[in-house]
Amino acid sequence: MAAARKSLIKIKPKKFKDGEIVKVSFMVMHPMETGMRRDKKTKEVLPAKYINSVKFNYNGKVVTTMNVWESLSTNPVFTTYMKITGKGKLTVTYTDNTGEVNEKSKKIKPKG
Amino acid sequence: MQRRDFFKKLGAAAAVTAVIPAMSFAAEAKLKGPNELAYKAAVDAITGGKTPSKSSKVTLKVPEIAENGAVVPVTISVDSPMTDADYVKSIHVLAAKNSNARCIDVHLTPANGKAMFATRIKLGGTQEVVALVGLSNGDYLIASQSVKVTIGGCG
Repeated sequence: MAAARKSLIKIKPKKFKDGEIVKVSFMVMHPMETGMRRDKKTKEVLPAKYINSVKFNYNGKVVTTMNVWESLSTNPVFTTYMKITGKGKLTVTYTDNTGEVNEKSKKIKPKG
Repeated sequence: MQRRDFFKKLGAAAAVTAVIPAMSFAAEAKLKGPNELAYKAAVDAITGGKTPSKSSKVTLKVPEIAENGAVVPVTISVDSPMTDADYVKSIHVLAAKNSNARCIDVHLTPANGKAMFATRIKLGGTQEVVALVGLSNGDYLIASQSVKVTIGGCG
């Protein structure tokens, strides 16, 4: 496992109630190299490095899984909706094609 | 007799050496990127041979003209109740002319509550962006829109 990447989970709206459907965005700083680009100076092919799969896990239950290929933009954003079902934790696990595995989690506290 | 055999072998060897480079060249030409996959093969791989039907339930939001092909925002939303009996199983984003047509597969569950997905993709040039939606009853819906790209985003 390489150095931790900068990532962020954003929930909209910020204050939500139990049972509400909220928008969840997951952003990560990742190069998403396609393996077809060449270095402008050395003319060498840059090795491919892109996110393979992303998994959204809420209280131990898989909500969304994604298979990703290299044609996603640099520093990708994944936005979906999610139904809030009580207090808990949202964990996003993402895997790289080079075998790098990282995760990011956020506590979920519905009000009212 | 020996002389005849010798010429036969020579001829066969020449034929083999002529064929081998042609074959290896073809294999190399095919593998340009790490996971090259043409658009039609990608659609078949997803649907398993079924022909997806066009539907107004799927809304695909892509800019008509993208100045920068490296960052093209895509939003797909599907009109679905998202209950255990009837929900959107998967959303696939495809770029028809990218060397690897598949961009992302999203597998949803009823726990999502709303069938919507947004991301940003790279486009190599002016082409069509396709959203393929798989429903829980096994049907596939499709929506597409062409995007004009002024500066390509791949390579």
